[in-house]
Amino acid sequence: MGMCVLDSAESVFCRADIISTVEFNYSGELLATGDKGGRVVIFQREQESKNRPLSRGEYNVYSTFQSHEPEFDYLKSLEIEEKINKIRWLPQQNAAHFLLSTNDKTIKLWKISERDKRAEGYNLKDEDGRLRDPFRITTLRVPVLMPMDLMVEASPRRIFANAHTYHINSISVNSDHETYLSADDLRINLWHLEITDRSFNIVDIKPANMEELTEVITAAECHPHQCNVFVYSSSKGTIRLCDMRAAALCDRHSKFFEEPEDPSSRSFFSEIISSISDVKFSHSGRYMMTRDYLSVKVWDLNMENRPVETYQVHEYLRSKLCSLYENDCIFDKFECCWNGSDSAIMTGSYNNFFRMFDRNTRRDITLEASRENSKPRAMLKPRKVCTGGKRKKDEISVDSLDFNKKILHTAWHPKENVIAVAATNNLYIFQDKIN
Amino acid sequence: MEYKVEAHRIMSISLGKIYNSRVQRGGIKLHKNLLVSLVLRSARQVYLSDYYGGVCLNAQHVEAKEWELMDGDQEKLIPASEESLPSTTACDQTEAAEVPEAPQPEETDSSLAVEGPEDPCEAVEGPEDTSSTEPQAEQESSSSVDSTCDVSVPSPVVSEPQCEAKQATVSSLDCETDANLAMSAEGNSHQPPKAHSCSNRKRSAEKKASHGSPVKRTKVTSSNADEEEAEEMDTSNVSNLITIFGSSFSGLLSKDNSEPEAETDESDSGSGQICCDQMLKNLNPWNTAIVAF
Repeated sequence: MGMCVLDSAESVFCRADIISTVEFNYSGELLATGDKGGRVVIFQREQESKNRPLSRGEYNVYSTFQSHEPEFDYLKSLEIEEKINKIRWLPQQNAAHFLLSTNDKTIKLWKISERDKRAEGYNLKDEDGRLRDPFRITTLRVPVLMPMDLMVEASPRRIFANAHTYHINSISVNSDHETYLSADDLRINLWHLEITDRSFNIVDIKPANMEELTEVITAAECHPHQCNVFVYSSSKGTIRLCDMRAAALCDRHSKFFEEPEDPSSRSFFSEIISSISDVKFSHSGRYMMTRDYLSVKVWDLNMENRPVETYQVHEYLRSKLCSLYENDCIFDKFECCWNGSDSAIMTGSYNNFFRMFDRNTRRDITLEASRENSKPRAMLKPRKVCTGGKRKKDEISVDSLDFNKKILHTAWHPKENVIAVAATNNLYIFQDKIN
Repeated sequence: MEYKVEAHRIMSISLGKIYNSRVQRGGIKLHKNLLVSLVLRSARQVYLSDYYGGVCLNAQHVEAKEWELMDGDQEKLIPASEESLPSTTACDQTEAAEVPEAPQPEETDSSLAVEGPEDPCEAVEGPEDTSSTEPQAEQESSSSVDSTCDVSVPSPVVSEPQCEAKQATVSSLDCETDANLAMSAEGNSHQPPKAHSCSNRKRSAEKKASHGSPVKRTKVTSSNADEEEAEEMDTSNVSNLITIFGSSFSGLLSKDNSEPEAETDESDSGSGQICCDQMLKNLNPWNTAIVAF
């Protein structure tokens, strides 16, 4: 794949709340977003039609529902936020769509189904729904299905609760399509999609003495093909790959990925910036990608001592770590994603910038997701941050970056060059220009 | 020195973050607070490194070595049971307060802990407010902390029966997800001056690097030891903690000019000389403790 040339925002959706997760489903037809208010909004891609050739690929709202509500844990005097931390789709098995959504404590399985027919002609009730007097019914009729306006319903099918003491940061559906894992700061549980009252604890890094705690789990993911393998990343910048066949409790890793720290770059904040915020397997299952504060690293699962590729996302921030610590930006958890063919990776940055790296050509591009710069059908202009010396025209200096405009969540269509970028409370969808 | 000012500033900011985390929605975030505590620890190391370099010349050699070892060996903390004997003195500052020096203070603590939680929070706030920087107040602090801890930790935590009081103290204070209370008066517990760098180094000199970091790791909510089914993210003692920090820091700032006082922790004695002496005094009891185990 050559460098991706992006077209423009096909649809911009404004939410009152900040978007906290974005995820395409397996076919790319649906795009789900979760926000801080506990709502899930699902977009559906318009089918191609001869009547409106230019509308191909537009995503429109398909369904909106309240997934999680704020809760209060009376026993611990803790408020549980309704913010959706992650959404993961299940592979589609019938006409309905299923997804898992989670907040800090509870995971829910939602069924999203369409209803475009309604049965009419019931015997025991009339059209208004009022019950008919059975003694007055003299004939029987068979109810008939009549078309109606399309209605998309979301209903919670399973609620997986009370299994996590700490805050859930990840969920991942297994390739067996029957189980999934959920990870919090110290533990990882394995669930069966049908069973809500039990889960297996497969990783537990909580020390007997909490004073000895030195690292927490930051992300976890199941291998895309091997249902017995999963990885989890830590706040210390390490990744552990575990094999569930080896033991019931996978505290002992099968592989341990860590890059030795560069002692020359040590600072007060070295530990913070090495904390991994996201880990994603490549579609092939051969590689995995990790995101820490300043870089993205691609690891070959067969090589544990260092990544095979490292991409600097915004190295110019290294000298600003103290300010970023003060304003809490250093704790931002950026996600990363692969394109469908694993040839490119994408991640977000500040000032509504997001970055894409082509693994083959080693070229990278910085783009901006903002209303001013994105008229529909317009081409996105590459951006550049001036890191020192004289600022060229069109460049932006580091000091004028807006650190409140951060792109933490991005998603790439599994098959096409369509990307979804969440910029605070706006969702941007870009797609490749069709020549 | 510039870097000391910077380190001090970072410590203040870190403490502010720890304080604010308790009022944030959704409960205390373990990950963020762990990271903040790491920064706090690093800043503290830098801040203290020069101070002790000049003052404790004798120990410096060993300290420097142990410091590096400790830096990397965070995981190898000796289980509490092995270090139940608190041999610290005032040198360890307020943390020592939590860590009763000898059996007597321990018993006092126990009794206080047993006394029960009539109004732990309030009881704690008072003494801690005034006493955080005074060596004499250490006892008060510890007692107040203990009573606090009593409430927050319903069941005596963990292993060491002999250190029960201390442990309880620790866990209660530990209730905070962050607060690498290295500095903290929280009494980093049974392992004496985890927080206090000076004595820490001393200890490590004897006990190898197993102490790992001088700073307390993230403390997550209490009751972790016993009640596995009912793990809580209990943060009831954060306020106490913050009060300790608050007062200690203001005390620190006021005495900024006098070098010996420039301790990140609720500093105890004034001069470095005294500190050193006390540290050396500690040495022997600690030696004994180690031999015993």
